[in-house]
Amino acid sequence: MMSDDLTTYLVLSGALFAIGTFGFLARRNAISMLMSIELMLNAVNLSIVAFGAFIPGLQNRGAVIALMVMAVAAAEATVGLAIVIAIYRNRKTPLVDEYDAMRR
Amino acid sequence: MRAWLYLLAGAIAVGIVTTPAILVFIFGGQHIDDSLLIAFATLMLAAGIAVVTMRDIIRCGLAMIVCFIALAGIYVQLGAPLVAAAQVIVYIGAISVLVLFAIMLTQTKSGSSRLTFQTQARWAGVAAVILFLLISLGVIGTNWPDVNARMHVVTETLAAVLFHDYVLPFEVVSVLLLAAVIGGVFLAKREDPSEETLQ
Amino acid sequence: MNQELTFLIPLIIALPLAGFLITAAIGKHLGKRAHLIPVGAVVLSWLVAMVVVAAVLFDTGPAAGTRYGGGPPFTALATLWQWIPAHGFGGSPDFTVSIGFFVDSLTAVLLIVVTTIGMLVHVYSIGYMAHDAGYWRFFAYLNLFMVSMLVLVLADSWLVLFVAWELVGLSSYLLIGFWYRKNAAALASKKAFIVNRVGDVGFALGIMAIFLDTHTLNIRDSLQILGAGSIPTSGLGPAPFPIPIAIVALLVFAGAVGKSAQFPLHVWLPDAMEGPTPVSALIHAATMVNAGVYMVARANPIFAAAPEVMTVVAAIGIFTAILAASIAMTQTDIKRVLAYSTLSQLGYMFASLGVGAFTAAIFHLMTHGFFKGLLFLGSGSVIHAVHEEQDMRKMGGLRKKIPQTYRTMLIGAIAISGIPPLAGFFSKDEILGEAFKNGFYWVWAIGIVVAVMTAFYMFRLIGLTFWGKSRVDPAVEPKVHESPRVMTIPLWLLAIPSVILGAILSWPGPPLGPLFGQSGTGLLAGWLEPVFAGAQQMLGRTETTFQIFGIDGALLGASIAVAVMGVVAAWRLFGVELGPIRGAQRHDQVKALTARVPGLYRASLNKWWFDDLNHVLFIVIGGAIANGAAWFDRNIVDGIVNGIGSVTRRAGGDLARVQTGRVQNYALGIAIGLIVMAGSYLFIAGH
Repeated sequence: MMSDDLTTYLVLSGALFAIGTFGFLARRNAISMLMSIELMLNAVNLSIVAFGAFIPGLQNRGAVIALMVMAVAAAEATVGLAIVIAIYRNRKTPLVDEYDAMRR
Repeated sequence: MRAWLYLLAGAIAVGIVTTPAILVFIFGGQHIDDSLLIAFATLMLAAGIAVVTMRDIIRCGLAMIVCFIALAGIYVQLGAPLVAAAQVIVYIGAISVLVLFAIMLTQTKSGSSRLTFQTQARWAGVAAVILFLLISLGVIGTNWPDVNARMHVVTETLAAVLFHDYVLPFEVVSVLLLAAVIGGVFLAKREDPSEETLQ
Repeated sequence: MNQELTFLIPLIIALPLAGFLITAAIGKHLGKRAHLIPVGAVVLSWLVAMVVVAAVLFDTGPAAGTRYGGGPPFTALATLWQWIPAHGFGGSPDFTVSIGFFVDSLTAVLLIVVTTIGMLVHVYSIGYMAHDAGYWRFFAYLNLFMVSMLVLVLADSWLVLFVAWELVGLSSYLLIGFWYRKNAAALASKKAFIVNRVGDVGFALGIMAIFLDTHTLNIRDSLQILGAGSIPTSGLGPAPFPIPIAIVALLVFAGAVGKSAQFPLHVWLPDAMEGPTPVSALIHAATMVNAGVYMVARANPIFAAAPEVMTVVAAIGIFTAILAASIAMTQTDIKRVLAYSTLSQLGYMFASLGVGAFTAAIFHLMTHGFFKGLLFLGSGSVIHAVHEEQDMRKMGGLRKKIPQTYRTMLIGAIAISGIPPLAGFFSKDEILGEAFKNGFYWVWAIGIVVAVMTAFYMFRLIGLTFWGKSRVDPAVEPKVHESPRVMTIPLWLLAIPSVILGAILSWPGPPLGPLFGQSGTGLLAGWLEPVFAGAQQMLGRTETTFQIFGIDGALLGASIAVAVMGVVAAWRLFGVELGPIRGAQRHDQVKALTARVPGLYRASLNKWWFDDLNHVLFIVIGGAIANGAAWFDRNIVDGIVNGIGSVTRRAGGDLARVQTGRVQNYALGIAIGLIVMAGSYLFIAGH
């Protein structure tokens, strides 16, 4: 059965991670970049939970790790968005390639 | 007129999500679990692609919420209902709201005339695809030892472990969250001109 | 060897050297009196030289008693100091060079020529250069030239001789280009120096070859070893020279070709007439160009050991003689005629050296020095009289206006034409006679033709300049005047030896013979015999007595006959006013003759196009090659160097574009790096 196979979940996780990478590298809006980071974090979370579900040596503690990751992701999203808002107040634009005050 | 378009779009979306599931059910061995997984997976990936490709940021945010919902469904299938609940509460309830607020606060006027993608978007796409292929190859090629069928996590056991063995990380994470809150508030605080002058 | 001589010999050189240094330092402030020190120095030097010469030459006679008896010929040596103390050790050859001066009879003969003519030219210059602004500079250079020529003649080491060789070339450059503001003079002096340099390369190589063969740079020692034919090694017997003697001889001869203006390096001498006339007289007639002849005569053992090279020497010499004589017949500038005449007579001297008649060559060197010097100084007097006009077509009828110049130049012309009993006859006849008797019939035949041409063009010169109707520019004509005494006295002083020197030096029998203890051969031959004895032995020649009614008489008659032929031919075409002999100038006949052989006439007038050939070869083709090399250097060599620089800079500039300042670009880089590393790990470790 497909859903009984660890690799399915890991491939899914990889796909989501790749999507998140593309979004991070390709979007101009800073908040889009942060959303892509959230996607990447979620992909990793998925793979952690998958490992937790399939590997007996972990003693089902994959879920604990996933909870920690989730908390840290929340903290990071908070601070990141606060920074973006602060920069927006200064630069009047949320687009990262217009933050060029320190360029030549 | 617009309402019909939205209904049509919604029907297409549902169709996109359910068709692979039905196909897998029919041809893959009539397992509900599989088709359910495929449904959730399709929804998740489609929503993820929508997050990174749509022009309107609000719509990206909403797609992100849909992605999280699908992910929660997959967590349930993996036998971790607590994690699924936490996903819904934290990600959808808190982070997505935060993101939407931030979008609201950083709105720009000329939204439709700007480019959404960087100049390096094509390269990024290529890199992402290759990354996916590498990960898949790595995962499929690995001989995962000691793998059984899916196990279910008992919530009581999970709680005991969390507050017994992992109490330190738990507390540390709460301090981290406190720091994040304070930092976020401070960073995003508006500089009040009337506070400059002291009396 | 007396102690006084050892002191006097360096004095000969020190006096003009002091004259040069003092005049160069303070001459500018002496104005019209600037000639006192240099002329005085040269006169004193002449006196000292005569004392030394007398001591050396006249002790070779039975007064010292041992000449034929096998004792060493009288020589004087004065070694001053060790210039390059490079003692070889461990088997490598000794490169020590000492500054030393050596006087034997050959040197003594040259000393007579150099100091006498030098002194007379100095005195003459007082009058000739009186109006020139660079008066003091002229005398300084003249003294420098005297120093270098004397060192050359007196040198005891090849290296010292080479240094003097180059110094003489330098003095020639300075003096030809004396009027440096004149473009033609500057070009001519450069040409002289550069063409000389070409020959000097050969000479330098020759000196190196001599050192390689003999491991010594001393002239006497090296000549002794080279004359012996093989390296004296102890033990295993004689070894052949690392560089064959023929090559050494050829290289050394190359130097003489350059300095004495033989074909193909003759092109500088006619252009050197841009210098003042005293310079032409001294350097390019009497002394510097004779340096080559002297050097070959000094190195006679080298040449005698390589008979093939001697044939080459003779061929080049006689070819130069006839080439120059053919050009002299059509030139219109009075100094150019004399320059080509010098070339021709030098050719005679080299031909004489080539056929083995070394004594005859030196004899001709002496007599030629006197009468050519006389002719040049006389032409200077003529030029002075007609106010710097050098074209003979604008002269004529000057016989009565400048009588002293006329008479002395006539004597010079008779001398060079080979009319007995003047000096030129004796020396020229001896050369031709020796050529015939030694079997070089072709040299003799060409020499006879040259003798005809010589007599012809000389009397053409006299006719155009002094006889017939005056063609002088009417504005100048009333001002034609004789030169001052300071100029005419040297002319007479040079005329006297032109008349009697030949007779004195070659009279074989009594009453002069027993006076100096000779028997059978002439005076000069007696002096020079020890110098050339070894060479004559190697060439297998023996002395023969003079047979007036045999072969010698026939040759004598032939020489006189052709000389007279040439003179009479010139008289018919260019007129004559010698006492009872009268003849008119026939310009139309001249024109008719030249019209009959237009090709030859044009070739002669254009100097057989050698200057044009040199121009094409070296300026046009050489210039193109040089430009090509310069292009290569600028674009390819410099291009490579600059290219490395610009490539580096551009690479740097392009690489700097990686730093965009945008995080997403950097993140893409990280992603790519991750993909590459992970992918390669997967490939390498997995499959």
